[in-house]
Amino acid sequence: MTARKAILIDTTLCTGCDRCVEACKQENKLGKDLPRRWKHSIDDLSSTRFTTVIQREGNHFVRQLCRHCEQPACVSACIVGALKKTAEGPVIYDSAKCMGCRYCIMSCPFGIPRYDWENSIPYVRKCTMCYPRILDGQIPACVEACPEKATAFGPRDELLRKARHCIKENPERYIQSVIGENEVGGSSVIYISDIPLGFLSYNPKPGDQPLPSLTWSALSKVPPLIIGMGGFMTGIYWIVERRMKLSAESMQAPASKGKKDNRSW
Amino acid sequence: MVDRKITLKSILWLVIGIWITVSLARFIRGLGSITDLSDSTPWGLWIAFDVMSGVALAAGGFVIAAVVYIFHLEKFRPFVRPAILTALLGYIAVAVGLLYDLGIPLNIWHATIYPQPHSVLFEVAMCVMLYLTVLFLEFCPVLLEHPWFNRLLFRKIHKALKRITIPLVIMGIVLSTLHQSSLGSLFLISPDRVHPLWYSPVLWVLFFVSAVGLGLMTIAAESLFSSWYFGHKLKVDLLSGLGRAASFVLFAYVLLRLADLAVRHKLDQALNGTWQANLFLFEIFLAALLPAILMSFRRIRSSPAGIGISSIMTILGVIGYRFDLCIVAFARPEGISYFPTWMEFAVTIGIVAAATMISVEQSTRLRSSFSPLSLRILMPESRSALRRYSLASIAGAAFAAAALPADVWQGSPMLSTPVTSPMIINGSLTDNSFSSKFTYNINLHPSGSPGGETDTEQFLIIDGNRDGRLVVFPHRFHRDKLGGETSCVLCHHQALPFDQNTSCSECHRDMYLPTDLFNHSVHIARLDENAGCPECHADPTKAKTRENTKSCKKCHQDTILRRSIIPLKEESLEHAEGYMHAMHGLCITCHEQKLTEEPDRYCRNFADCGTCHRGINGKYFRRMYPYAAHKNNLASKRNQAGAILSRPDYEN
Repeated sequence: MTARKAILIDTTLCTGCDRCVEACKQENKLGKDLPRRWKHSIDDLSSTRFTTVIQREGNHFVRQLCRHCEQPACVSACIVGALKKTAEGPVIYDSAKCMGCRYCIMSCPFGIPRYDWENSIPYVRKCTMCYPRILDGQIPACVEACPEKATAFGPRDELLRKARHCIKENPERYIQSVIGENEVGGSSVIYISDIPLGFLSYNPKPGDQPLPSLTWSALSKVPPLIIGMGGFMTGIYWIVERRMKLSAESMQAPASKGKKDNRSW
Repeated sequence: MVDRKITLKSILWLVIGIWITVSLARFIRGLGSITDLSDSTPWGLWIAFDVMSGVALAAGGFVIAAVVYIFHLEKFRPFVRPAILTALLGYIAVAVGLLYDLGIPLNIWHATIYPQPHSVLFEVAMCVMLYLTVLFLEFCPVLLEHPWFNRLLFRKIHKALKRITIPLVIMGIVLSTLHQSSLGSLFLISPDRVHPLWYSPVLWVLFFVSAVGLGLMTIAAESLFSSWYFGHKLKVDLLSGLGRAASFVLFAYVLLRLADLAVRHKLDQALNGTWQANLFLFEIFLAALLPAILMSFRRIRSSPAGIGISSIMTILGVIGYRFDLCIVAFARPEGISYFPTWMEFAVTIGIVAAATMISVEQSTRLRSSFSPLSLRILMPESRSALRRYSLASIAGAAFAAAALPADVWQGSPMLSTPVTSPMIINGSLTDNSFSSKFTYNINLHPSGSPGGETDTEQFLIIDGNRDGRLVVFPHRFHRDKLGGETSCVLCHHQALPFDQNTSCSECHRDMYLPTDLFNHSVHIARLDENAGCPECHADPTKAKTRENTKSCKKCHQDTILRRSIIPLKEESLEHAEGYMHAMHGLCITCHEQKLTEEPDRYCRNFADCGTCHRGINGKYFRRMYPYAAHKNNLASKRNQAGAILSRPDYEN
């Protein structure tokens, strides 16, 4: 089996040069960012920008991109299986299957997937970790472009080990946790950082529980619900039907008696 | 009665006319041009109302089927056919609404060939699809009663359908239970976005119970409407029975919701006075508690007004529950909001109008002899009615077409705001687009107070596109319009790494596009190849810096503004605007090329930004001046120049 790949981002090394953005745009042929109603700002993630560098106060730069979760909410949400978690790690998208329900955008805890709002045949757009390149044995374009080596690519286990080692060696430089190791079940894009990265997700402290398990708790009740509800309704129908029949009979019996009586009268 | 009908239908036709125009815009231009949806609000009115609330409103069908067929409460039988018809029309309306909301509506059938059983939405889709079929089969006998179908084959089908009524009803109940509840489960995946007062692991139970309560109340509301519309007598005792049942269900719903909050220790959040808490209290009071209390009094539930008011409260309340969960109490990034556009409302109301029209027409016929749908259904009653209907629909369509935003016609929902150049009127400067609001008096401008909360905050004269054309820029107006303090990043952002702000033309698309201000190769060609270097670079042997390079003005005399509205210092035009862009274009491309040609000769970082820009304590990295020595010099110069000219880097 192929080793699960991942991207490690060291925010302390990032200088915010936007080379990764440029490389991503070139690789995915994304074109110019235009001001649109649905964008927070021009350098927000959008259907023409799969990764962006967010500047935080105090000259910190944090690159934002799809986290390629280990148990992705978007994949579990997708009604037609257009989104798929590959064995190599990336979460990829098949536009031919998509029907445009946008449930994936609703479900992402990091608010990553973007929609082609301006097109009359719109697709969901997000980082694919350069899946075609990975299949070719290359590394993702953004990783290749990074001049400061703030972004690394490799097997997930190895990168995690590296990241843990790195924060342990430099405790004064990093926050002592590898972000993306366990959040929502872990992700294939992991960060080590000197500032808290809560702003990257809706919940500043996402839990460790994978989100698909939340829906599964309800979905797993479907078969018993079918049997239970079906059986219950059939049972009620049968009981009430039988009772009515019996009462009709008992009604009929005295009635016929009465008739008899009448006749005898 | 005819008049009442024609008036109602004329209004419906007007709405349908608007709906048709908006539909064309929707399917030709896509979602972005007519909705207020965005990546932070991917589901809006169409999901919250047309789908979520529509399905709940159509719950009457399965509830009454269960009451009559399963529990054998035969006295409610008169409600069955209208309720099944309403449910059928309701679900068709849901499907139509969904077609508007889906990005690629033609792929709606994909769920059947690419099943993904881990998706709640898949389960909902399957159940709704099957339930639509069940509803159709339940409704079929009504159709087959028509004399036209009086043939052997159809009689056989009719008989077969009648025989499977009970299995069909049970199947309908099971399917409804599943999807009514699963519509709630859809939100289980977003625990971080749904407000804790609404998020619950048993959302599916709450959805189901509230749908049953709503179903009972909609049947009551419907019979009230039809008795008003057709002017026939109301079956008060039956309505009262519905009200009693609804009261139990709604009480159960309130208890469940409160118990759920209590178990999750969130009860205190419902009383902490935030707008969400108040909304929650209002919603649960309106949707359930108040109608449940009202309906528990025999006197109230036996009066048409009492039932009418309670049912309207429940309908609004349960729709409110869906809206709160889906839109209102759903977290978005700060500064992003959602309010449906009039076009989204038009589609929703249009679908409802069409369904109402068919249902009104159809129940007319259902009532007379329980006989059937025919094509005459949509036919006007008379010539004058036809005239009225066509007038109404054409007027609606034309009105909508006139009101469509320009984006729909131009096919570009790009943000665009018209700008006009500044003009001099009586010594004061007025920007046309804001003339009613702002008058800029050049003489009053306190030129020496940059950055203070004075007029400089309000107005700047800037060269926003770096093309030498100065405009009055109402800074405070832009800031306020774009959302206050947090909006700085909209212009002063990082997309142009070493520039300080966006060009005006990035947003004001109707201004000219920026062009290359300096094209090195064109100059080389024009100036006779290499022999031309000294024309600009005074000493080509030295490093090519700003100091020993001729300014554009030396040759291009016309770059100097002749009729400048403010007295410019001569030296401020020494260097072309966009000098930085030009230099970046030249240095970086050349450095990159060298690095690929002779990687051994140059250091790894030769082509990196940091090579030139690194230095001063890592501060202000992104807007650093390449030569550290200049920094202080430039900063002091900028202060002298004041904020009147926002050309920070290169005034000399």
